[in-house]
Amino acid sequence: MKIEVLYPEICNLYGDLANAEYLARSCGAEVVKTSLAEEPRFIHEDIALVYMGGTTERGQSIVRDTFEPHMEGLVKRIADGGLILITGNAMEIFGKYIENEDGTLEKMLGLFPIHSDRHMMNRYNSLYLGKLEDMDIVGFKSQFGHSYGDNGDGLFTTVRGAGLNPGVIPEGIRQNNLMATYLIGPLVVLNPPFAKYLLRLMGVQEPHLAFEEEAMDVYTHRVQQFSEPERGFIY
Amino acid sequence: MSKLKFIAALWAAKLSKPLLKITGHNGTNFPGELALKICPDFLKYVCKPEKVIAVTGTNGKTTVCNLLCDILEMDGKKVLDNRFGSNIISGISTSLINGASIFNQPKYHAAVLEIDERSSKRIYPYVKPDMVVITNLFRDSIMRNAHPHYIAQFLTDSIPPETKLVLNADDLIASSVAPQNPRVYFGIRRMATDVTECVNLINDNRICPNCNTDLKYEYLRYHHIGKAYCPKCGFKAPEYDYEGRDVDLEKMTMTIADERGSYTYRLLSNGVFNIYNMVTAAATLRELGMTHEKIAEYMSRTHIVLTRYNLEHVGNVDLIMHMAKEKNALACSRACDYVSHQPGRKELFLMMNCLGDEKHWSENVCWLYDCDFEFLNDENITHLVATGPRARDYRLRLLLAGVPADRITCEEDEFAATELLHFEPGSQVYIFYGTDSLALAYKVRDKVKKLAEEAAK
Repeated sequence: MKIEVLYPEICNLYGDLANAEYLARSCGAEVVKTSLAEEPRFIHEDIALVYMGGTTERGQSIVRDTFEPHMEGLVKRIADGGLILITGNAMEIFGKYIENEDGTLEKMLGLFPIHSDRHMMNRYNSLYLGKLEDMDIVGFKSQFGHSYGDNGDGLFTTVRGAGLNPGVIPEGIRQNNLMATYLIGPLVVLNPPFAKYLLRLMGVQEPHLAFEEEAMDVYTHRVQQFSEPERGFIY
Repeated sequence: MSKLKFIAALWAAKLSKPLLKITGHNGTNFPGELALKICPDFLKYVCKPEKVIAVTGTNGKTTVCNLLCDILEMDGKKVLDNRFGSNIISGISTSLINGASIFNQPKYHAAVLEIDERSSKRIYPYVKPDMVVITNLFRDSIMRNAHPHYIAQFLTDSIPPETKLVLNADDLIASSVAPQNPRVYFGIRRMATDVTECVNLINDNRICPNCNTDLKYEYLRYHHIGKAYCPKCGFKAPEYDYEGRDVDLEKMTMTIADERGSYTYRLLSNGVFNIYNMVTAAATLRELGMTHEKIAEYMSRTHIVLTRYNLEHVGNVDLIMHMAKEKNALACSRACDYVSHQPGRKELFLMMNCLGDEKHWSENVCWLYDCDFEFLNDENITHLVATGPRARDYRLRLLLAGVPADRITCEEDEFAATELLHFEPGSQVYIFYGTDSLALAYKVRDKVKKLAEEAAK
């Protein structure tokens, strides 16, 4: 079983790579890293999970240009039910465009019916508490803007914090087994139930996580903390 | 009107100082805050010393500032600094208030100011430094600094075009700042411990800025620090104007050279970060016209500030306070790397929690997964105590870094956690703390010292 990490040389801003490493460690999968100079392996190989983490603003443009020829393969993978996880501002690369604060537009890949704004002097930082089915999801957001448009039911249902933008409840985007979220960093490590959910979708029958007891201890504590009504949420 | 406001601001700020002293609040940024409140463009009007040197960058700016100030003062200069204030606009304003007479005349020959990178846009329009020294640009606080390329652009947009830059050529991000400005570069030639492939979790400059090809390194020190080149388009790191070379950690010496000469310097510390700090300071002082002989002589009389690294023998152990900044994966990685390379058996007390965040929301722990805790998976590090609000996160991160579970203990309360230390005779006990936990770290150290003494009885 293989987990493919796309463009780790630039898509790894906040400990993102821990997501793939943790899942691999929990199921014995191999992590394969695809650089900008290579064709994504999922186009031709059996890949259990494709992962892409957040990047710089220049990185977003580089990924857009690099990945554009492979969009057909991505659309096919989504239709086939292949698992894809996209975190942080990598989600914006697959929207229609990003609007800069000076009004200029940067065209993106157009897979999602959303667009994003970018305010380089106004960083949005918050904690996040949400739901996926019956699972609590905890995480962190740290971004230069939000996205707008039709994200349907999203990936997560926001309990506290911002959805796709502060005005909506659904957070992220889900298309079949493609999951995209603004949550940054080691999302999978911080959410053991979500890690198991992904492992099941990868075909692991009875997943057991690496250091599951300790990971659950961290998770339980964080869910409890983030659920405290008096806990500040916006940094 | 603005000038009148300025005079009112200066005098009010000056008057506030004795009041603050009487009430035991001296050392705060209040005078600067007050002045800015009365006169928002206070920095425009307040007098500045003849020579202003700004030091910025992710890590090392405090140490470099201290070295520069100490050496310039040893050379007979009256130097204004902000070492007891903050490095944001209110702290800089407070320092300049201290440096001005009530008639707004400068009382100092020069100012050496540590300036927070994010504060550049508010400071440099008014305080136009003769030189800006950039130590390095790494990942820092996710919330404030996003990523180092963002900070590089921030500095490029802020630094006045006439300001001369003193830049780290081994850091392609720092050396890319304000490309139109006059500049000199410093760096350190190949060291015995250098590699050519990155072993760290993060390297924020993996691709060529011109053609996006994977960069190669003649030598790589850590993360993105090294001598980089592009195998495809010929792009390469800048040449050094000031170079550290022949670093000898046994003799604790290195040579610093430039086109006007070279000299052997005594190392102040065996940590590579501090060797960079020395070269940075020496390059800046050479730019100010000081001889190598004088710099080396004065530098040998300085030391690294005790809040950053302090060793004392207590009971049967060496107790070492080591700054390993919270939310700064690079500083913490450097600390982990340093400890892992020290000889002998070691215990670590990890308390670099962001206590301020804990009060108001909750620390963003993503940085833990950027930090090379893998260095702590070393058989000579016999015991690690994870403590503070993020103790559980540390334990999980250490386990994922490969540290055996039986070497890790976990206790949220920092004082109770001290009781878990073993104090094995002859070992070193490191307390890793951050800027946010500094005050608590001193209290914890006092308890650890008592326990170490008791253990020796």
